Amino acid sequence: MLLRKNYRKMTGRFVLSVGILTCLALPAWALEKDLTVVTSYPKDLTTAFKQAFEKQNPGVKVEMLKKKTTAGVKYIQETASNNSSDLFWASAPDAFEVLKGDGLLAKYTVKAVGIPDLIGSYPINDPDGYYKGFAGSGYGMMWNTRYLKAKKIPAPKEWNDLAKAVYHGHTGMSAPSRSGTTHLTVETILQGEGWENGWKLLKEIGGNFHTVTERSFGVPDGVNSGQFGVGIVIDFFGLSSMASGFPVDFVYPTVTTLVPANIAIVKNSPHPEAAAAFIEFLLSEAGQEMLLDPKIRRLPVRPETYAKAPKDFPNPFIDKTIGAKVKFDVVKSKDRYNLVNSMFDVMITYRLDDLREATKAVQDAEKAMAGKSNAEAEKLVAEARALIAVLPIDENKSLDNEFSAIFKKKRKKATDKVTGRQAEVEQQWDTMVKSNYAEAIKLAKKAKSML
Amino acid sequence: MPRIRTSYLVASLLAFFLLIFLIVPVGKVIYVAFQDSSTGALTLVNFVDFFKTSLFRESFFNSLYVAGMSVLIASLIALPLAYFTSRFNFGGSILIQTLGIIPLIMPPFVGAVAMQLFFGSNGSINLLLDQWFGINIPFMKGLNGVILVESIHYFPFILINLSAALNNIDRSMEEAAQNLGSSGIRLFRKIVFPLAMPGYLAGAALVFLKAFDDLGTPLLLNVNNMLAPQAYLRISSIGISDPMGYVISVILVVFSLFALWVSMLASRGKDYSGGGKGVSGLLKRDMRGWQKAGAYCLIIFLLLLVLSPHISLVLLSFGTIWSYSVLPDAYTMAHYVEVFGTTREYITNTLLYAGLAASFDVAFSVAIAYVVLRTKVIGRQWLDYIATGALAVPGVVLGIGYLRTFNDFNVPIIDKPLASWWVIIVVALAIRRLPYALRACTAALHQVSVSLEEAAENLGAGKTATVRKIVVPLMAGGIVAGFVTSFATAAVELSATLMLVTAESDAPLAYGIYVFMQSAAGRGPGAALGLIAVVVVAFGSYLAHHFIERNKRMQATLTG
Amino acid sequence: MSLATRVKPVRLQIEDVHISFGSTKVLQGIDLDIEPGEFFAFLGPSGSGKSTLLRAIAGFGPRPQGRILIDNEDIISLSPWKREVGMVFQNYALWPHLTVQKNVAFGLEERKVAKAEISTRVEEALDMVGLADLADRHPSQLSGGQQQRVALARTIVIRPRLLLLDEPLSNLDANLRVQMRTDILKLQRKLGLTTIFVTHDQEEANTISDRMAVLDKGIIQQIGSPMELYDYPVNRFVAHFLGTTNMIEGEVVSVDGATVLQTQSGLKLPLDMAPDARHGAIVFRPQSVHVNPEITQTSAMNLDGTVESLEFLGSTVRYGVKVGEVTVLAEEDHQRGKPIYKKTERVQLVIPQKQVLFVTE
Ligand SMILES: Nc1ncnc2c1ncn2[C@@H]1O[C@H](COP(=O)(O)OP(=O)(O)O)[C@@H](O)[C@H]1O
Ligand SMILES: [Mg+2]
Repeated sequence: MLLRKNYRKMTGRFVLSVGILTCLALPAWALEKDLTVVTSYPKDLTTAFKQAFEKQNPGVKVEMLKKKTTAGVKYIQETASNNSSDLFWASAPDAFEVLKGDGLLAKYTVKAVGIPDLIGSYPINDPDGYYKGFAGSGYGMMWNTRYLKAKKIPAPKEWNDLAKAVYHGHTGMSAPSRSGTTHLTVETILQGEGWENGWKLLKEIGGNFHTVTERSFGVPDGVNSGQFGVGIVIDFFGLSSMASGFPVDFVYPTVTTLVPANIAIVKNSPHPEAAAAFIEFLLSEAGQEMLLDPKIRRLPVRPETYAKAPKDFPNPFIDKTIGAKVKFDVVKSKDRYNLVNSMFDVMITYRLDDLREATKAVQDAEKAMAGKSNAEAEKLVAEARALIAVLPIDENKSLDNEFSAIFKKKRKKATDKVTGRQAEVEQQWDTMVKSNYAEAIKLAKKAKSML
Repeated sequence: MPRIRTSYLVASLLAFFLLIFLIVPVGKVIYVAFQDSSTGALTLVNFVDFFKTSLFRESFFNSLYVAGMSVLIASLIALPLAYFTSRFNFGGSILIQTLGIIPLIMPPFVGAVAMQLFFGSNGSINLLLDQWFGINIPFMKGLNGVILVESIHYFPFILINLSAALNNIDRSMEEAAQNLGSSGIRLFRKIVFPLAMPGYLAGAALVFLKAFDDLGTPLLLNVNNMLAPQAYLRISSIGISDPMGYVISVILVVFSLFALWVSMLASRGKDYSGGGKGVSGLLKRDMRGWQKAGAYCLIIFLLLLVLSPHISLVLLSFGTIWSYSVLPDAYTMAHYVEVFGTTREYITNTLLYAGLAASFDVAFSVAIAYVVLRTKVIGRQWLDYIATGALAVPGVVLGIGYLRTFNDFNVPIIDKPLASWWVIIVVALAIRRLPYALRACTAALHQVSVSLEEAAENLGAGKTATVRKIVVPLMAGGIVAGFVTSFATAAVELSATLMLVTAESDAPLAYGIYVFMQSAAGRGPGAALGLIAVVVVAFGSYLAHHFIERNKRMQATLTG
Repeated sequence: MSLATRVKPVRLQIEDVHISFGSTKVLQGIDLDIEPGEFFAFLGPSGSGKSTLLRAIAGFGPRPQGRILIDNEDIISLSPWKREVGMVFQNYALWPHLTVQKNVAFGLEERKVAKAEISTRVEEALDMVGLADLADRHPSQLSGGQQQRVALARTIVIRPRLLLLDEPLSNLDANLRVQMRTDILKLQRKLGLTTIFVTHDQEEANTISDRMAVLDKGIIQQIGSPMELYDYPVNRFVAHFLGTTNMIEGEVVSVDGATVLQTQSGLKLPLDMAPDARHGAIVFRPQSVHVNPEITQTSAMNLDGTVESLEFLGSTVRYGVKVGEVTVLAEEDHQRGKPIYKKTERVQLVIPQKQVLFVTE
């Protein structure tokens, strides 16, 4: 009896609670959602702009749909046939390039005036007029002060510092294939240092990595919790971590890269006017000033806004070391986008253990060599270093459109032809890289044993 | 005969649903795996590439290794817990069993962060070890970390199934062995454990599968050279449609089904439960003083181990700053204030979605179990196989598949794409968690003697009435267990929902945690939100457990 | 209408029923005609197909070939829940989640009987099986005999057209079994229900049934009243299955114009008719055999032999007498003071010709 009653009671209650919950949730979809913004930006930023914009435009409601950049792109691609998004708002220009290439963005001409063409050496707006830069960010290094103190490691100042043996196993970075802004940094290094030297530097830095993180936020997260000491991050990650009270510090190296942050109207946007208004608000003086908030911390694209900035706020329009050294070639970057990512993954991300071991062996040998002179050992170590640096393809090949198409092969028409398969090519590279790292370890160990 | 027609009708409805919401969407995504990327023709060359690529082979073996080791470690954790609570009179058995299920509810992102803070190379444990002994144990490094997290996360599957099996053993089996002079561990090893084997195997197979297919854990620990992360990395990169991601998905699905099949073969004909007429459940004995102390120590140690992510989560949610130190610097309520102030709808949405999904799951599972076990519908086994196969479909694949399949279908009245209606999130959750409920319901139906149904039909109850009045009440324990598992795990599901959330107001908790965990200041509130999820779900499962236990006592005998 | 009001009893006819599980044939060519109000038993060893046949009548199991008629209406395509055929399961199949009262009320609820009527009828049914005071218990709180009674009450409360009982007594202890069997019979008489009772115990079948069918290997061997079957078994199986019997195998030969059965060792036994078969056996019950001291009376059916064993059974003494290569059992009434034959004693067995049956199958 009792049991039966209880059973009934439970069922009853359950049905009731489901009913109540359903009613609670009804307004969720009954609400009018006017402007839908697909964005990768954190809450602090999106909420501030949402509130300010809604206040300025009564009657318009903004829906901030947060997706990781890659997922956001995928989302817009997959829903294109029945689009319900108005704006795409994220940092990485290449994400916009992909959407533009797929014909999923709408052209828009900004009405606001007073915004220069370049920030640092990087063009603020898409030359084709599809996406607009509204802010910039610089790349730098953040570190955990407790970590460095406990392990007696000096704070880094320049990119090259991270290649030093003292940082072995203490640094972290996100993979360029996972984070558009990281890709931009990698590409900047490749363009600034040259193809060969750029990769050499990247591998030297990579050989010290504790981790290559999957999310770009994984890097500040790792430094904040002390998993590793130093991370290569975009400035606002470092600065907002400091602002949140973590025992961390941040520097721009003397030569840094500037990453623009963009916004674009999605093709067939259901509310193009509200979308345009949002862009104009973002670029207005009021909108630009909001970027100075320590929790948001982006570099405005309006030079005059910097007058209202706190004292040590970097100003790329005056300080030419920020992002000015490299003349960034957008077309080049775009053409070999996937290829560079794939190379990074094959040589560094997926072979991190091998690379790390090889780097360690070389560093150990060099340490043993310090102060001594042994020509043969030096030669072996140099050979080992060279082996680590060997690249599967040269720069010309990287710019060979037919070759890099293997990595895109987004066939638009059935007649589009691509030769070769990514998996096949990557396997060849992997075999080569793996055996080179193994050989380098052998040489370095041999060198060390000679001392 | 009408009854045949009805069963075919039900089976076709079930099949139709699986077709629309599982096979078609997944098929739409993974057919790329069978396509020549340059010509678009059908081909198997991508699979050849897979096995030719050393990275993928390595990933395959790593996944296999991780899955195997996870089963081992999970068994080591689950066996003592199941043994002590079902074998001895033990204060707090229900509490232990409930606490033992909490690890299943590991909120995304924060769970891994919490584990790192505890076990990481510079986590609390290693900082202490370094301070005291000058050593550092790489718990969380590479595959070790994945194994540790997976076994802690999924061992409850073994615990639940094994405990259920132990409690179903006919007491006379044990008594007969004692009568013939067997006792203690020998008795357990030679009689009790073999009898509970099917339950253990079912649990172990789930652990194996989840560890094999799990994406979140390796990804958050930044371990790339396993199959699931390889698939994900290749599917979700911008602008790439590298078929390898889909090839890996296919391989994951196929291999998982294979593992399930093997476990089914292994336990075929070994299901001894529910056959006897005696009292089921092992004879519970009292322990002597030191035995009791020892057992409690072991259990407390194990509970501390498996609850460490949650303990760490508690610290994180109340802590101000926790960085490179054994404990947080100071404690505060601020994170909870923020969460309650801003994000209440995440919680209500989660309860709604997970509740609906889990209700749907048990209803669907009862139907499938019934069709499979009680009707003669041709091909009925496939309902079971396909529904269980959902276990192996990566969440992203399902998410993308839904976008692809349902975006062009506008729901009448509300007039927007089905893919962006909140209901689709519920459907995705339901499909993803269906296998859990299905296993529980199938096991429960197995234990209901057919003659109990025949008796009802004989007295004039039609099939529907029999199912409603006899079968479902008798399966109540299993249904509740299935509901709890589905509900608890759906409440913290991220991968598919992240893809399908189209409005913040429709978003569930997992999405909220994701949003918080994207900024440095959000870690505390994220942890608070995660903990709220755990508490809500844990409370629900405690109630359910209580209910099951009482149910069991009420019907102590007579299921013959 | 009270439970005890007699309903018009039904006739059950089974015509050429065949049942197979997949490719295994479990029942073949079953033909039965059960009279209205009859208490009928299916008797046979375990695995002979009794339950399968009974379940087929209730509508369970694979769909049979042939016809099953209740009062000339073929019920074979009727769903179990539409047959109005009450069945008591061997394991009782009481629902553990329902109380006794709820278990019994179930069938009435399914029939949408009014609440008030349900409770009076349930009460009446429980009263009839003597369990009125246990209505609120759960099945797990009852003894085996009580569970049995609940199962019975649950079935009769719906006033079924037929009552089917599948080995209802096999889970009970010996005393209870005897008690229950009289109770069931009384109940059946009171209700006038056509009843089929499955058992593997011949004593049970004998005492309770009006007629019975003996099954073996899925075939009905013989149908008749218990006494008919006992006295006139048509084959070796029935003869053996129903009580102790003597069976002597041999060849049918003709000696001096008379037909005799010749055993392997050359023993010649007269047959009172000339069968077609070349092989056969004569069958007679031990109590038909008289044991005499070794005085020769010349009659063909007198056999000389040696006492080999003796068992005291209370009312009788059973002798095993070696005659040639066969051992013949003989039972003598026992009275105080009556002389006993010793082992190895030579005796003569007298078997009246009319007590001897010849079987060929
Ligand atoms: N579900 C089944 N599947 C296959 N064979 C069965 C099944 N049920 C019974 N049988 C077979 O049918 C025969 C008769 O069974 P049953 O009617 O239960 O015998 P009885 O009740 O006379 O002991 C047996 O040989 C048994 O093995
Ligand atoms: Mg039987």
